[in-house]
Amino acid sequence: MADGVPAPGTLRLGRHTFGPDQALMMAIVNRTRDSFYDQGATYDDGPAQDRVDRVVEEGAEVVDIGGVRAGYGEQVDAAEEIRRVVPFVAWVRERHPGVVISVDTWRSEVAREVCAAGADLLNDAWGGHDPRLVEVAAEFGAAIICTHTGGLPPRTDPYRIEYDDVVAAAIAETTALAERALAAGVARESIVIDPAHDFGKNTFHSLEVTRRLGEMVATGWPVLVSLSNKDFVGETLGAPTQQRLTGTLAATSVCALAGARIYRVHQVPETRATVDMVWSIAGRRPPLRAIRGLQ
Amino acid sequence: MPGVLALLPEYAGQEDPVPEVRAAALAAVTWLAEAGPVTVLGDEQGTRVGRHLLAGAAEGAGSAYLVVANGSARRNDTAPGYLDERALPFDAAVGAALREPDPAALESLDVDLAAALLVGNPAGLVRLGTLLRGAGPPMMDYAGDPYGVQYWVMRWTVVDSEEPHEDPDRTRR
Repeated sequence: MADGVPAPGTLRLGRHTFGPDQALMMAIVNRTRDSFYDQGATYDDGPAQDRVDRVVEEGAEVVDIGGVRAGYGEQVDAAEEIRRVVPFVAWVRERHPGVVISVDTWRSEVAREVCAAGADLLNDAWGGHDPRLVEVAAEFGAAIICTHTGGLPPRTDPYRIEYDDVVAAAIAETTALAERALAAGVARESIVIDPAHDFGKNTFHSLEVTRRLGEMVATGWPVLVSLSNKDFVGETLGAPTQQRLTGTLAATSVCALAGARIYRVHQVPETRATVDMVWSIAGRRPPLRAIRGLQ
Repeated sequence: MPGVLALLPEYAGQEDPVPEVRAAALAAVTWLAEAGPVTVLGDEQGTRVGRHLLAGAAEGAGSAYLVVANGSARRNDTAPGYLDERALPFDAAVGAALREPDPAALESLDVDLAAALLVGNPAGLVRLGTLLRGAGPPMMDYAGDPYGVQYWVMRWTVVDSEEPHEDPDRTRR
């Protein structure tokens, strides 16, 4: 473990603090018309609010609100992104004060507005593209997620990207971003790293990152994984978008055994059960109630 | 008290499957330990359970005895040993002998049948019979079979006739 890197432990995400043995569910709530999995299902206020109510009921600790599709698609400028997410962040803050509000954005001007409206966590899914994002996090006491994109600009797909060692590259990029966030004044326990499956990666890269996730965990920075229904699952199993849950949960198991702390997901209960089961296999969580053979 | 392994910390889940048994047993052993060093009479597993509940209270030769034993584990078709029709009458007879108490009945326990019925520590029940000579009726902390296994938690005080001047509260089972 590098000098100065924290031991795995407490997570502080804005207003909320979590103990070292807690695995967190981050439910995806897209305020987009064109995201790959939900295809605009929660673009409008009503369905988005229903989705938040439901995932909170299902036990998600975090909601991750995004106003811009990750991949290529409809142009969404900062003003439109703010229009989509800021009032919604305020609504979630008011209605569900116990939930961590994450906003998936790479723009510091959007970050400033959402933090003012009550966001706890900035999910910088495009790996530090806007260097001022960490300054906003520091200013508002928010947490930040540092992702590996292999240097891709926002909203682009990988094309013939290769790495000498994709895991080493992911560790180098995310820990450098984490150190930068720390230097900018973000609290150490509020910095999370994410290898970013599919981002700047082909399917072989994402499989290798999954297989070797323990190396990222060993850096000491808490690790987030975003696996949910992604293309690397689809390509691996030949499964269309809506039939990737089993493969997603298999990948989730591997990451959970390695010790990933936060799971960015579409399906909360299924992922929770998977992570709870693996957490118990790993000896980090007692069974709920055990009497078999112990009467 | 019964030798329920679920009472051990290494088998603790998030929810206690035996909260009533635990509470009863803790109350009884706390009372017992007030009488001085405790002798634990159990099989290997039962002794571990008893020592855990004693939580560091003094052990050794004295007048306090903790007998870790229980009734049949074959009381119904979800019991660990499945149903054996002989289990209910066997446990009823043992229960009656404990409540009476009837030392002779316990001392003459059919240990072969007890073994067939998966009784916990039959030898402990026999020994308890000897210890209960001169004892009055017990205080019943718990009796039940939540998992098809018969559990009892009971406390007896023995007034030893050969030592009539001894404080009766000092001799406990």
